[in-house]
Amino acid sequence: MPQFDPASFASQIFWFGVFFTLLYVAVVRPTLPKVGKVIDAREAQVSGDLDRAEAAKGQADAIRTAYDDGMKQARDAAQSAVAAARDGAAKAAEARLKQLAARLDADAEAAAASLDLARANARAGLESTVTELTTEAVAKLAGIEVTAADVSAALAAR
Amino acid sequence: MEQFKIETIAPLTVAGTDLSFTNSSLWMLISLISIAAFLFIGTARPQLVPGRMQAAVEYLYDFIRDMLRENVGKDGLRYAPLIFAVFVFVLACNLLGMVPFVHSFTPTSHIAVTFGLAMIVFTLVVIVGFARHGLHFFSLFLPEGTPIFVAPLVALIEFLSFLSRPFTLAIRLFANMTAGHVLMKVFGGFVVSLGAYNIALGAIPLVVNVALTALELLIAVVQAYVFALLASIYLNDAVNLH
Repeated sequence: MPQFDPASFASQIFWFGVFFTLLYVAVVRPTLPKVGKVIDAREAQVSGDLDRAEAAKGQADAIRTAYDDGMKQARDAAQSAVAAARDGAAKAAEARLKQLAARLDADAEAAAASLDLARANARAGLESTVTELTTEAVAKLAGIEVTAADVSAALAAR
Repeated sequence: MEQFKIETIAPLTVAGTDLSFTNSSLWMLISLISIAAFLFIGTARPQLVPGRMQAAVEYLYDFIRDMLRENVGKDGLRYAPLIFAVFVFVLACNLLGMVPFVHSFTPTSHIAVTFGLAMIVFTLVVIVGFARHGLHFFSLFLPEGTPIFVAPLVALIEFLSFLSRPFTLAIRLFANMTAGHVLMKVFGGFVVSLGAYNIALGAIPLVVNVALTALELLIAVVQAYVFALLASIYLNDAVNLH
């Protein structure tokens, strides 16, 4: 095998050294870092874009939260206002109802009192009329003079 | 073995040593020119959104950088250009040696060249190891937790395995390229000898040879990858000491 013929080793290694050095120094070194730079720049841009997108998302989320909070607050305020208005109205209605009931009670009492009075008066009138009639009837029929007091007493005894 | 024969193209003798420009040198030069064309065109105007050639260069470079990142870590990226050079050189020599009809020659099928490549890796490992760790680099030969009574033995074994690395690296590439090429030649010979006997019989080794060509192309790429991968694994020892 020619591979194991040492005669060609020196030449092979020499030219390999020459060409590999050329490859590294004159080809790879001047070209590859350019590509590396571009790759790094691209990565930086992509990650920068991603960061910006992340930040924008955070901002959007914050706005969303603020909006939600505002909505919730407004809803709560509206609800409490409605509740307060309802309570006020109910209280006012109750108060007026109470007032009305009190007035009606008072009116009824007054009416009952006047009714009682009228009844008492009527009774008193009736008694005096009956006493008078009795006195006159006794005088005419029996010819006995009786006083109103006697009649009253007699009526009361019956 | 005619395909591996070194043929002098331009004789050159320096201080009694034969340094002739041979077909091996010629194909290394062709590899160099191909790589140069590929790299210079690919990086002529680097853009954020790459064109085809730039994308191809980037793909290869990213491949090497990923390999170094995985095997060595972030510190390994400094050596990406050198590992890249080794990788593309082996790849170009392997692949260009497969070109038919042009008397192509595979420089990497010769142990002198693969040994030169292996020595580049070995030298890099030693220099990086001593530069980063000084004499502490020798602790590479004594893995942590070794019982003291087997330490000398382990150190000896580790040291020998470390020294054998350039040889295994060189022989692996050379043997793969040589064996594959020999096999192709053998089956090519079968095509001729069996074909002379009966044309239909000659078709059988021809079909095999087509498949072997595909296999050999695969080996050309895989061996370049293996070479670069082992280089980065050895580099990991130097950078991180196990």
